[in-house]
Amino acid sequence: MNISPSEAEEALDAIQVMMQKTRRAISSSGAYKFLIVWGVIWMVGFLGSQFLPSEIASFVWIWLDILGGLLSAIIGIRMNRGVRTSSPTTSGRRIAIFWLLLFFYCAAAIGVAWPVDGKQLAMFIILFITVGWIAMGLLLSFASVWWGLALLGLSLVSYFLLPDYFYFIMAFVGGGGMIILGLYVRNRW
Amino acid sequence: MAELNETIHQTVRLRIMAALVTLAPNEEVEFIYLRDLLEVTDGNLGAHLRKLEEAGYISVNKTFVERKPRTYVSATTDGRKVFSEHVAALEAILKSK
Repeated sequence: MNISPSEAEEALDAIQVMMQKTRRAISSSGAYKFLIVWGVIWMVGFLGSQFLPSEIASFVWIWLDILGGLLSAIIGIRMNRGVRTSSPTTSGRRIAIFWLLLFFYCAAAIGVAWPVDGKQLAMFIILFITVGWIAMGLLLSFASVWWGLALLGLSLVSYFLLPDYFYFIMAFVGGGGMIILGLYVRNRW
Repeated sequence: MAELNETIHQTVRLRIMAALVTLAPNEEVEFIYLRDLLEVTDGNLGAHLRKLEEAGYISVNKTFVERKPRTYVSATTDGRKVFSEHVAALEAILKSK
């Protein structure tokens, strides 16, 4: 079988494109759901922190955190159903366990540091979520690591330098940004 | 020197193999997932998968998941080896330009 160099180049390009598309499809197939879930939770939680008394807002956050942990676990289990390993759902199950453990670590850290005010509570949750996000990025799609780091940076800057606008920034830029990014990832695939 | 493989070189089969070798050796992809990824019809994909299966380059595993029939496809060890040889042959042709 003989082909010209230009045909060889075309074939190699087709291979490259297909491999990249496959990698992207596998990695983005569940990542956007995490983003949308946590984006909505952030938006609701931070708006609660802005408008509700701090004690109520703290409880709202705890329940939102539980909800987010459970939804993340379900998403992890259901991820990549189109692709399975010889030991089915092992990776999904591990992702689910990771998020549940992260949730318990977060709750334990808050318990140890208690009493904390609303902003400190929110910052604890943000720190743990962004750790989870970056870990998922390293595991599934490296590009999303940068978004996680950007969100972490924004949170820290808002917390230390713009405390009066912290909740608003987190609700609309943080939460809204995650929802938009999640929709972008979903539509790109 | 690595040689081109006529079975794999066909455009759709080349893309199928590229997608399958991207997965880990212990992973397999569902037929529908692969069809959507390649943007081909059921019939077209089925015909090309048969050719690759006959050549021993892929493995087709029909099973039931939650009582629904599912077909999973994966590259065999031989398929991965032949594909990497094919890629090496393509690169050699390009270098000789």
